[in-house]
Amino acid sequence: MPDIDLRARSEEEASRLPPLLARAEHLAGTVLLGDHGRRRSGLGDDFWQYRPAQSGDSKRMIDHRRSAQSDQQYVREREWQIAQAVMVWVDQSASMRFSSDRALSTKIDRARLLSLAIAILLIRGGERVGLTGTSLPPRRGNAQLMRLAQFLVQDDETDYAPPEHHGMIPHARAMFVSDFLGDLTEVKLALTKAADRGVRGVLMQVLDPIEEAFPFHGRTIFESIDGTLRHETLKAANLRDRYLERLADRKKVLRRLCRATGWHLGLHHTDQSAQSALLWLYRALDRSTA
Amino acid sequence: MTLLGGIGFIAPWLLVALAALPILWLVLRAVPPTPTRYRFPGVVLILGLRDDDTISDRTPWWLALLRILAVACTIVGLAGPVLNPNPDTTGSGPVLLVLDGGWSGATRWPATQELLSAKLAEAHRSQRPVAILQLTDPDTPTFHTADALTGRGADMKPNPWTVTPDQLDRATRLLAEMGGSFDTWWFSDGLSYPGHSDFLAALEDRGDVRVFQSSSSVIGLTPVQFEDGRITISAIRSTVGLPRYITIFIRGLDPAGTSRVLDSITTGFKADATQVDTDLSLPAELLARVTRFEIAEQHSAGAVVLADDRLRHRPEVALISGHDVGEGLDLLSPSHYLEQALVPIADLLYGVLLDIIPANPDVIILADITTISAAEQAALIEWIENGGLLLRFAGPRLAASDIGRDDEHPLLPVRLRAGGRSLGGAMSWGEPKVLAPFAEESPFFGLTIPSDVLVNSQLVAQPDPTLADRVIAALNDGTPLVTRKELGQGQIILFHVTANAEWSTLPLSGLFISMLERLAAFSANQTPKARDLEGTTWVPVRVMDGFGRLLDAENLPGVDGPTLAEAKIGPNLQPGVYQNGDRRLARNVLMPDATLTPVRWPERIPVEGLSVSPELPMGSILLAATLILLVADVIASLALSGRLMSVRGKAVLVFALGTALAPMADAQTTAEDELATLATSELALAHVLTGDARVDEMAQAGLQGLSNVLFYRTSVEPIKPIGVDLERDELAFFPLLYWPVTLGQPYPSDQAYAKLNIYLRSGGLILFDTRDADIAGFSTASPNGRKLQDLVAPLAIPPLETVPADHVLTRTFYLIKDFPGRYAGRDIWVEAAPPDAEQIEGMPFRNLNDGVTPILIGGNDWAGAWAVDRNGTPMNPVGRGFAGERQRELAYRFGVNLVMHVLTGNYKSDQVHVPALLDRLGQ
Repeated sequence: MPDIDLRARSEEEASRLPPLLARAEHLAGTVLLGDHGRRRSGLGDDFWQYRPAQSGDSKRMIDHRRSAQSDQQYVREREWQIAQAVMVWVDQSASMRFSSDRALSTKIDRARLLSLAIAILLIRGGERVGLTGTSLPPRRGNAQLMRLAQFLVQDDETDYAPPEHHGMIPHARAMFVSDFLGDLTEVKLALTKAADRGVRGVLMQVLDPIEEAFPFHGRTIFESIDGTLRHETLKAANLRDRYLERLADRKKVLRRLCRATGWHLGLHHTDQSAQSALLWLYRALDRSTA
Repeated sequence: MTLLGGIGFIAPWLLVALAALPILWLVLRAVPPTPTRYRFPGVVLILGLRDDDTISDRTPWWLALLRILAVACTIVGLAGPVLNPNPDTTGSGPVLLVLDGGWSGATRWPATQELLSAKLAEAHRSQRPVAILQLTDPDTPTFHTADALTGRGADMKPNPWTVTPDQLDRATRLLAEMGGSFDTWWFSDGLSYPGHSDFLAALEDRGDVRVFQSSSSVIGLTPVQFEDGRITISAIRSTVGLPRYITIFIRGLDPAGTSRVLDSITTGFKADATQVDTDLSLPAELLARVTRFEIAEQHSAGAVVLADDRLRHRPEVALISGHDVGEGLDLLSPSHYLEQALVPIADLLYGVLLDIIPANPDVIILADITTISAAEQAALIEWIENGGLLLRFAGPRLAASDIGRDDEHPLLPVRLRAGGRSLGGAMSWGEPKVLAPFAEESPFFGLTIPSDVLVNSQLVAQPDPTLADRVIAALNDGTPLVTRKELGQGQIILFHVTANAEWSTLPLSGLFISMLERLAAFSANQTPKARDLEGTTWVPVRVMDGFGRLLDAENLPGVDGPTLAEAKIGPNLQPGVYQNGDRRLARNVLMPDATLTPVRWPERIPVEGLSVSPELPMGSILLAATLILLVADVIASLALSGRLMSVRGKAVLVFALGTALAPMADAQTTAEDELATLATSELALAHVLTGDARVDEMAQAGLQGLSNVLFYRTSVEPIKPIGVDLERDELAFFPLLYWPVTLGQPYPSDQAYAKLNIYLRSGGLILFDTRDADIAGFSTASPNGRKLQDLVAPLAIPPLETVPADHVLTRTFYLIKDFPGRYAGRDIWVEAAPPDAEQIEGMPFRNLNDGVTPILIGGNDWAGAWAVDRNGTPMNPVGRGFAGERQRELAYRFGVNLVMHVLTGNYKSDQVHVPALLDRLGQ
């Protein structure tokens, strides 16, 4: 039962952070209207203010503790909170199923862990979380977590998968987790489409340390994970500089793309701690909802 | 076998393959290493990248060289190289192998045997029949095939004698009986003997003679010589030329009875000397234990000297002193220092002069004796004239008497002036005198004079014409201190000071002992002459073989005395230890005046050394080198392909290294050393481990409590108490042993009891605690009491008494009357006071025995009262309420007093005299 295991570890990771409280996107509209931010009374759990009881307020709305301090009767108001929809895409392709050392987890393992952890945080905070595409629309509740976990452990057989950008709900949040080693035009398409619909979010690039270091020498044959791509070199060490240059270019393109669409770009290596990545994701999602 | 540059090859044609190596080199350099495969998602980024140059990484030249070397090693190894191949032997016909086989060849016997078997192998290869003749044990030589004699060659042993004329005669006769001609290979010991050249001539008549002989010199030891109290041992050698250092080991039995090296002397031959004499300056006691002298690294009977009674001789000394003194006045007794000095080197006799003289002691010592009856004097003079040594010491009585004033007394070496003189006293001007260096003719010549030997008083000799000759030791102002007079064969020696420390510090110094040793050694036995041994028969007890090892004599016949003293060593008189009644004589290979004559070979005889350079097949070495090179190649290849540190690479590396490196042994420090360091760096109280965990724990906690109290209240600052295992641990480090008696504890072994007895004798104290409140009063009615009696039965325990009221234990730190622990029991028992201890008028306490009571027995469970836990709070309740705490305090006070008593002895006993002394001095 790998999904059970994945869920257990994700719960463990998620338990270390306070619940992420997503702020409602449309409150930004009130800021535009000149009002003081999202600070309006409404449905919610947190205390907002006491106001004098007016006619029309039902008796049970009166806060007796406050009212007993004076002759007037007060009503306790709560802050208006609203749930967000967050859509997640995790690259399940073969290139993600790679780790350079037995001690390191594979990239896909780390990506799934981070995604589910963030999903748990969001659902605990009352948000709705789903997958991009039509397979799992955003829902709330712990049952959704179980479904998420089930979908997240399904491997994709292709070498490099493009981001799934169908069925994106307007003004929702999105998170794409991948190594972004595949075709970048697909990524660009997905991001521009998302930006068109007012969807903002986070790109999380997960790389293995060996992909940053390229520590190869001598005559070498490189193969992609499912073996479709193949490259032979006689002096691997000579390729290093050019490989690193290409990797840097790729990161630059992604960065430019994100800047244009208002997305955040994160980089995570599998030899770093998952928690720091989760923290960054937590903040980044928080920022992207502001 | 083909020879190439001194190395033989079994299959030389294989070397042709070496020509293929350059081709292999080219091939190895041309072929690139196999590619490594990696699964790598980043491959998408390098697709389309081209290599800068199309030439692949080639095998590095050094790796190729490594592989070429491996192949070369294999080829050469398979070709079967042999180092030092034996040249093909020449000659034919039978060969006679002649061996001297005496002691002088024993040291190099292994080399001789190796050469012998090499020569036998050589003879075997060339199909020559061989016979062997050992000259020290000639037997009819018969020719056999060489391999039939291999076993006999290995079995031969050198004999502990050189070739005797008899044996040479017999060998010549045997030669004459052999027909035909034969070559001779002669293995010589390097020593010449009578008839050597004749025998050589006889051999040369029959064929060629080759000689094999070591070039090094033969070294031997001649027996110990006794001269003027000095013992010398000489080493001799056969050839001169180079200076040579030798080490002489002196072996003997240690007190435990095992043989070990007691001392070693390093000495050296000068370049042109064949003899070197060495003085033995061993203490007489050590000398008495010597069993043999031997030269290091010389394994021959001639390099060994066996010791016998002569070294072990202890002179009989009769000690006659003026008056007996009671206990406690030992240090004032005129004979005390004499006894102490003489006990290790001599057997002491006590008694009345007339009883002793018939026993014919070697030395009679009169310490400050003036009254000698006429009969005694006559007997003494007769005894001296027969070789006795009379040793006299001055003293107050001799000073007060008037013997030897006007005329020279027959039993005094010089005339004496009345009264003597005092130096450096309160009423004299002079300083105490020191001794002048001993003159060369003095028997004490060579002894170092310690600077602290001072003479305060002495008897002064009257100046006489003969005086100067008779002085053998003087003070630095020239006053005679020791004088000597010959009388018949014997002599009379007078020390002008007392034998105790009253007049001088001489008896306190080591010089005194050395002087007495020299004087006593005068009468040591001389080497027996043949006429002394006439008519005696000596039975061999242990005999030496050629290597100098002692063997059981088995059923060798006895030997006549004169033969033993004078005859040459041979098969009928083997070196060893011989016994007659209770006397033992050692007969050594060399006589005192022996010389070693090297054999001189005529120019025509070829003389070769003993060294053999054996054939050394090198094929296996080269093949092993191939394997090592291949392992290196594996590691290098792994390193090149970057896999050296991968998991599989590590496994290979570990395997490769693991086969190369042997595990290293850890050094271990023994627990004993740790205990010794711990217990001697600081004072520690100790308790005996009983095996009962609870009791041991309580004893430990109790001693910890006592240690704390000592630390707070006194200048005794003990460390953590130590539990000692009687069987294992050394006890000498601990001044005090607390021994709780439990029913279940095992009895110590005999060794442990021996250790305990030594501990008690050397000033240790054991506190036995039956922990039963002494209900039974140490009768057998209490189980712990019975156990205690069983436990201490083998211990040397003095008579005991209950602690008397004036025992020093009652006042060493606190003034106490009772000795309570958890129980305020009855008396405790200590060593009894001497029966003659009496209370002196005006003294509060008796002057009791010196030292510390070795044992203390009680049953008050002191450890229980002292015990504290880790926080320092008492572990056991004592009594009830405040009275109980008072009892605990008294228990601690007893502990403090006990430790003080152990550490300071009777110091407090002396201190209690102070008020009386002050009183006497009249304030």
